[in-house]
Amino acid sequence: MNKLTSFLTGGAIAIGLVLSANAATLKMAYDADPVSLDPHEQLSGGTLQLSHMVFDPLIRWTQELGFEGRLAESWERVDEYTVRFNLRKGVKFHSGNPMTAADVLWTYNRLKNSPDFKGIFEQFKNLNVIDEHSFELVTKGEYPLVLHTATYIFPMDSKFYTGTDDNGEPKDKLVKHAGTYASTHVSGTGAYRVSSREQGVKIVFDRSSTYWDTASKGNVDKIILTPIKEALTRVAALLSGDVDFITPVPPNDHKRIKASDKVDLITLPGTRIITFQMNQQRKEEFKDVRVRQAIVHAINNEGIVQKIMKGFATVAGQQGPIGYAGFKANLKPRYDLKKAKALMKEAGLEKGFSVTMMAPNNRYVNDEKIAQAVVSMLAKINIKVNLKAMPKAQYWPEFDKRSADLMMIGWHSDTEDSANFSEFLTTCPNKDTGAGQYNSGNYCNPTVDALVKASATETDPEKRAAMLQEVEQILYEDAAFIPLHWQNLAWAARKGVNIASVVNVQNFPYLSDLVIDEK
Amino acid sequence: MRDDIITTTKIPSLWRRFKDSYLWHSLKKDKVAFASFSVFILFVSVAILAPVLAPFDPYDPSSIDIMDSELPPVWQEDSEAKFLLGTDAQGRDLLSTILYGMRTSLLIGICAVLLQCFLGVVVGLSAGYFGGRIDSFLMRIADIQLSFSTLMVAIVVLAVFQASFGAELYSKLALFMLILVIGFAEWPQYARTVRASVLAEKHKEYVDAARIMGFNNSRIMLGHILPNTLSPLLVISTVQIANAIISEASLSFLGLGMPVSQPSLGSLISSGFEYIFSGSWWITAIPGLVLVVLVMVMNLLGDWLRDVLNPKLYKD
Repeated sequence: MNKLTSFLTGGAIAIGLVLSANAATLKMAYDADPVSLDPHEQLSGGTLQLSHMVFDPLIRWTQELGFEGRLAESWERVDEYTVRFNLRKGVKFHSGNPMTAADVLWTYNRLKNSPDFKGIFEQFKNLNVIDEHSFELVTKGEYPLVLHTATYIFPMDSKFYTGTDDNGEPKDKLVKHAGTYASTHVSGTGAYRVSSREQGVKIVFDRSSTYWDTASKGNVDKIILTPIKEALTRVAALLSGDVDFITPVPPNDHKRIKASDKVDLITLPGTRIITFQMNQQRKEEFKDVRVRQAIVHAINNEGIVQKIMKGFATVAGQQGPIGYAGFKANLKPRYDLKKAKALMKEAGLEKGFSVTMMAPNNRYVNDEKIAQAVVSMLAKINIKVNLKAMPKAQYWPEFDKRSADLMMIGWHSDTEDSANFSEFLTTCPNKDTGAGQYNSGNYCNPTVDALVKASATETDPEKRAAMLQEVEQILYEDAAFIPLHWQNLAWAARKGVNIASVVNVQNFPYLSDLVIDEK
Repeated sequence: MRDDIITTTKIPSLWRRFKDSYLWHSLKKDKVAFASFSVFILFVSVAILAPVLAPFDPYDPSSIDIMDSELPPVWQEDSEAKFLLGTDAQGRDLLSTILYGMRTSLLIGICAVLLQCFLGVVVGLSAGYFGGRIDSFLMRIADIQLSFSTLMVAIVVLAVFQASFGAELYSKLALFMLILVIGFAEWPQYARTVRASVLAEKHKEYVDAARIMGFNNSRIMLGHILPNTLSPLLVISTVQIANAIISEASLSFLGLGMPVSQPSLGSLISSGFEYIFSGSWWITAIPGLVLVVLVMVMNLLGDWLRDVLNPKLYKD
């Protein structure tokens, strides 16, 4: 008996060695780690990147902006309001519970109640479960973006999140920045489990042995994510071999990284707009369109792109980038200091006023430096700005409280479509529908709201584009926000870490498919 | 006759007295000390006159243009004549920023040392003069304080203050906080030096004489003993100011000192550090050089002063 046991153990170890011969560890450094493990707490790049590691979406974007099925094996349109999805069979959550349509329904209902995500799902009427492995998504009108939106449904383990935790709170409680059960415990279907996490210090992920996607060539069985806020330190860590993969890569260092024969730099043109919002509720002066125009005219965003971003961004005059339905070529950036001064004079405010500003310092590329540059640009039209820059873990709670007159926000369209920008950034804030959830400026124009709403059910692409372009035109004339630039994307990795095939314009690296060659 | 007496007993002016003194004599003879002294006086005067001398006001954001950012010093290509030492990443003139930064650094250094000196003298004088339990008690406190490194205490205190006050209020109070923290962290150096001198002085005849004349303790301590402990104080002060400036620079470099909008030399070095590998070396290198020179001349002056004021060391 004893002999048998030791024989079996030896055999198991031998098999284990054979299996892990090809396995690799990825040490990566981002500018920040996710603020919460709850995939529905914060609609942000960091959360979605985490979701793509720990959970799986129904479908996901390919690099060519097509769709590929993940947990949904196939889908078909039933009628103009309904799309039917068939789920992959035999998929298990990390907890061991099988993934079924009931979990998708549970997740859908939670999304509909999430303050951040409900805006994206506003056009959906309900989700009908057909059987254990199929369900239908029904929209309110003829919604052209059903599949786009389905990339944001990451089925959660409903059984795992049901019940109450040690404090007697429900496990699925969804409150921002409150340290809920779901923000510290997670069970998904994804390739990676969170094996340890120290907020702001380190997260360790281990590849799940029961991961359903056995066809994936990915061979990374352990990921160590370390947040390194200082851009220079991050680059130095990569160049010295302390980490294998970093993002974002500061534009200053692109030349140096390209010149190195040990690391690769991958860049993609970005679609994330960086803006400042002027809070009209906090600041009486911002209600005057002339003041808002003056501010937009005083900001030399070309200078910011050229000098701070080193050309690694595109100067913006509107929300959606070129190629999007709402893009209007004549809405050019409008830096003109003389005009800005004249507008301030016209508004009777040539003596200026003072405002508060907040910006993150580890969220967007060069965010704090951009904010500092804007401070000195506004000083030229006698607007005195008190800037406070902070890490994003502190910034988002302040943003949700609308704590400053000017707040920085970058937005990447969740649906790769123009309407998404307006839905979140420039429509009248509405707690019930989730509209304007990230509109800290409280800009509110019923015409814009009506157009954005109408565009959601318009299936004629030309008519829809015309509506979205009109939205951009109105926002431009109203100077609803301060457009800065669309930020490009950059990743860098040690040679042999084949990141080029797993990164995308959404900036959700599909790390489960990452292949690392042996050193 | 009377007139003659008046002219001969006329007290010479302070400058005259200084010029006639042994101090000036040895300064003139020691070339290194003289050069250090000249550089130090130069630095102090340009720092004081910064608002007059600086071509731009670096604290006024409206004078900064992003298009001027990262211009190299004039002796390099692509430079602009109006920015003598180039500009930083935000387009601030580096020369003006260094002048203002030196002002801040010196202010923090000198004020912090005054605070150290005040605390150290009070503690050291009482410990040495009264002796006994007071002495043991005060010196044990000094021992405890000395066992913490200055930077560690400063980092902990400043980080806690920054977290509890918030960055905005903190940036307004940064100057005072730095002075207080550096001042409080290093008083034992003074206390020990003063105590040692007091112990040597307090049994001398002039102290006994003063006591017999019925003077009270505080008058003897302040009026009689303290003046005789001044020379070692003067020596450690020069070194302490240099140390305080270095401490301030280190803290600012770590992001716990002066805010970027009102840079000291340390925060200026720190803000340029990100660019040092991408070609814009001057943002860090030039303020760094200024800091090194400033600290070095103060240390050299301290060395010289120690030699001059030490009666046991005679040099020709």
